[in-house]
Amino acid sequence: MLKQIRHYFSVYIKFIATSSSVALSFRTSFVLLVIMDIFFYLSSLGAVEFIFGHISHIGSWHKSELMFFISFMLLIDNLHMGLVSQNFWQFSFDLRSGMLDFILLRPLHSIFNIFFRNVRPSTILNFGLATYFCIHYGIAAGLTTMSWCLLPLLLLLAIILLVQMEIILCTLTFWLIQGNGINFLRMQMQQIGRWPDFVYEFWTRKFFTFFLPILLIGSAPVKFLLFPQMGKELILMLGAIIITNFIMFRFWKWGLKNYHSASS
Amino acid sequence: MNTLKKWIETIRISLNQQTTYRLNFFLQVIGPGLVFFFVKYSLWNTIYSGNSETLIAGMNRAQMINYHSWVFVVALLTQGHASFNLSEDIRMGRISTYLIYPFDFWEFHTAGFLAFQILQIFIAIISCAVLYFSGLLILPTLSQLGFALALCFMVSFFWYFLQYLTGLLAFWLDETWIMRVMLQIVTTFLSGAILPLSIFPYWLSHSLKNSPFPIMVYYPVRAFMGELPFSTAPFLTLLPWMILLFFLNVLVWKKGLRLYTAAGM
Repeated sequence: MLKQIRHYFSVYIKFIATSSSVALSFRTSFVLLVIMDIFFYLSSLGAVEFIFGHISHIGSWHKSELMFFISFMLLIDNLHMGLVSQNFWQFSFDLRSGMLDFILLRPLHSIFNIFFRNVRPSTILNFGLATYFCIHYGIAAGLTTMSWCLLPLLLLLAIILLVQMEIILCTLTFWLIQGNGINFLRMQMQQIGRWPDFVYEFWTRKFFTFFLPILLIGSAPVKFLLFPQMGKELILMLGAIIITNFIMFRFWKWGLKNYHSASS
Repeated sequence: MNTLKKWIETIRISLNQQTTYRLNFFLQVIGPGLVFFFVKYSLWNTIYSGNSETLIAGMNRAQMINYHSWVFVVALLTQGHASFNLSEDIRMGRISTYLIYPFDFWEFHTAGFLAFQILQIFIAIISCAVLYFSGLLILPTLSQLGFALALCFMVSFFWYFLQYLTGLLAFWLDETWIMRVMLQIVTTFLSGAILPLSIFPYWLSHSLKNSPFPIMVYYPVRAFMGELPFSTAPFLTLLPWMILLFFLNVLVWKKGLRLYTAAGM
């Protein structure tokens, strides 16, 4: 087991090295990606800032709490964009072009090989900025020492849940000819999760908590960090991670069985 | 007459191409706007919860929902997706064929844009009907509708010129999607699609006054809401930008073509 982990880790290091070389050979794109992310962060935080110029609270949350939520989601977005996002687009292209055959032949687990192959170094470069926003608004929201210690772990759990759900969604591409639409659906799913769960009405909230647990990604950890007595949703989140993990592997296996190579 | 036939035929083919993968079309073109509207609807409902008559930047709950409903419709009427195919054509070396066709590259893509707009008008009409019968949208008078539609028509061409330019950057850039997304983020924020510009701080909304951003969403929406007095001002503000973009497109195309290596030939 340990040997296998070491093997996968060494492969992942190679993935990062090759992705970095590719990214650095297109320097203009590299710089533009950094700028694009900064625009995105500023517009997300700016929108909430401007709203709070006219009101004092949204639901039961005040400005500092909501700003912390947004910055936490930006940090998730940064890691997601940097480490996995590109692979979902690549997957849909590989499936259509028949390139997937060659990837499936490699002696690695197909999910690892497909969804962790490409890394976007330019986005990782903005990790510092996203972390700064999270710390800044975390201090403003008055996080406890315990919350600061738990923040990295909860961030990791949130990303795991998000990526697992996205892989489940992307598996649908095996049955579709044009997979780009699935990627747009994935992005819309993220957009719903960028706001706290209390923003949505009762049934919508239930749907996106229990059936498609996109609202657990941000709301469960942030609520726990802000109000540690609200641990119920965190338990739901852990449950969702276990269930989506099971579904993901099963569904992926089923998808692979249905895969008819485009090149053969 | 022959030229007109070519245009009509290209529009017809483009319509067929765009509607071949209907699920994909829905998820890629209508889905994002729909989810964007849904999120904003939920957010503003929570902000106004229990106090529908509270005024935020001069708008009560019904007015705010009406504003965002019209944002959804305006986005359908004005925003195309022209640059994606265009940059792919350049990157894959497919423009070689256009260079020998008796129908120019720009003519082909403009016909594609018009086909897309026809589809979007159809979807916008259905959306208006659904939103109206859901009680979310308040319909304008005929004259206000005409004014707003004229503005939308001009904005759609402005968007097209802008996207055409970002698409042409494929002569130099490997990934033009970055420019496209950047453009989308900036315009969505500064045009009033996320928040009405009246919510913005004065210094920002004031400095945007002579830029094309408010005309891309905020003004057409206010025209649909009957809150923008009839005036040629928005048209006259946008016109110089369109002329500038037109000449920039011609220049970039000429410069880019000199660099073009016809990959795969």
